[in-house]
Amino acid sequence: MIQLQHVFKEYRVGPVKVTALADVSFEIDKGEFTVLAGPSGSGKTTLLRLLYRDEVPTEGEIRVAGYEVTRLRRSNIPQLRRAIGMVFQDAKLLPGRNVYENIVFVLRVLGTPRREIAPRVMQALKAVGLSARAQALPAQLSLGEQQRASLARALVKEPALLLADEPTGNLDEGIAEEILDLLREIWNRGTTILLATHRATLADQLKRRTLVLERGRLLKDKD
Amino acid sequence: MFLFLIEEAVRDLRRGGRVAASAVLLITLSLAALGAFWVLSLNLGRVVAQWRDRLRVVVYLREEPAPGTADELLAKLEAVGGIQRMRYVSKAEALQTLRRQLGGQASLVAELATNPLPPSVEVTPAPEASTPAGTRALVQRLSTLPEVEEVQGGTEWVERLAEFQRLLQRIGLAVGAVLALAAILAVTTATTLVLHARRQEMEIMRLVGASEMVIRLPLFLQGLAQGLAGAAVAVGGLYAAYRLALPALEPLLSFTLGLPRATFFSPSEVAVLLGGGALLGAFGGLLAKGGRPA
Repeated sequence: MIQLQHVFKEYRVGPVKVTALADVSFEIDKGEFTVLAGPSGSGKTTLLRLLYRDEVPTEGEIRVAGYEVTRLRRSNIPQLRRAIGMVFQDAKLLPGRNVYENIVFVLRVLGTPRREIAPRVMQALKAVGLSARAQALPAQLSLGEQQRASLARALVKEPALLLADEPTGNLDEGIAEEILDLLREIWNRGTTILLATHRATLADQLKRRTLVLERGRLLKDKD
Repeated sequence: MFLFLIEEAVRDLRRGGRVAASAVLLITLSLAALGAFWVLSLNLGRVVAQWRDRLRVVVYLREEPAPGTADELLAKLEAVGGIQRMRYVSKAEALQTLRRQLGGQASLVAELATNPLPPSVEVTPAPEASTPAGTRALVQRLSTLPEVEEVQGGTEWVERLAEFQRLLQRIGLAVGAVLALAAILAVTTATTLVLHARRQEMEIMRLVGASEMVIRLPLFLQGLAQGLAGAAVAVGGLYAAYRLALPALEPLLSFTLGLPRATFFSPSEVAVLLGGGALLGAFGGLLAKGGRPA
């Protein structure tokens, strides 16, 4: 599902060259649940952004869901992103639309036939346990509920791969545990998951394959 | 999908608020200015065409020819060349025509002791003599005849009118272009504000894999709707002004320029104005910047 070969990413800040990723190589198979762990600033978010082609590597090759990401033409980027679901630390819900409309928005943007929209949205809401809060605006939701809504929005397009960038970063431990349980359920249904987190305990708790990044280098790859 | 894009465009228009309304107003002003000059120029064009068609040279005679010698005089006039048709107008006929033209005030004619009007010959130049230079030469040739007191007519004033019409067109285009530019900038500003307001939507759209077309099309449609609305208001305003001015304007036009009826735009010309407005708006919508490319 994901292949990285000798990936480097450097940024130039004036005359200074900052290395965000250095010679990172790994593979993640279809159906795997992998944790990308590392402290803040270790390059986790940069790596995820390379995967959905929000950034281009300075060097190296990246393949995601059958797409040669590094050679992808700008006009083909939407196709890659349709195969990927994304969840971020902040839920990125649209404040003027309720939970139901936030999820509908994705399907309408992607041109899903009208008759398919309502059942798929209800199914996604049910999967994250948010059916009863469908009419609530984001501001009326708790942080945990917002993150669930964000997960429902990522799942509704039935992605082959789910990238989760610190999805529990803003949550207290109990709520974070619920989100992790949800991610496990999603993974059990066959979705490949790459979860980025700075919490070492969380990576241990999940007992899944863990890639450890530090200062842009892949330090460990442990099962 | 198209319905969704239209819904998004309507949502954006609402978000545009006063800036969107001022963009519509500027499009209205630019097209109203352009349209006003256009409709004036159209009517002036009709006057020019009509007068070119009716072009006459009037030869005023020193004295009325003796009975039975009018044909002889006409043959003499025809011999100067460049004449298509001629018609002799006697003093009595000229007075009759004046009486008709005066209408309600025809009684004034009855107060005249003698008929002061000269006899004349109305000359229609041949097509080759209908140019300003040709008519000038014809007038000169006719003036040399001893029976002729004065020759009036020619195409010069018609050409001056045509020149004025062209000037009017140019002024209309210049004013319209300046206002159109302002309208485009207003739509671009309104759309840019909307772009900032919908930054989050656009980010989500890009993240979930929407094509750039789907992201930008609502902006294009929003500009198009603003342009169309502005053009429709401009055409409506111009038509209202035309209907209001018509009762006062028509007798004046008829008396001074001989134009029996002032016309408004034809349906196809209205369509051109509406299309122009829509294009202005759509162009402004497309020019808007602010979205981060994927």
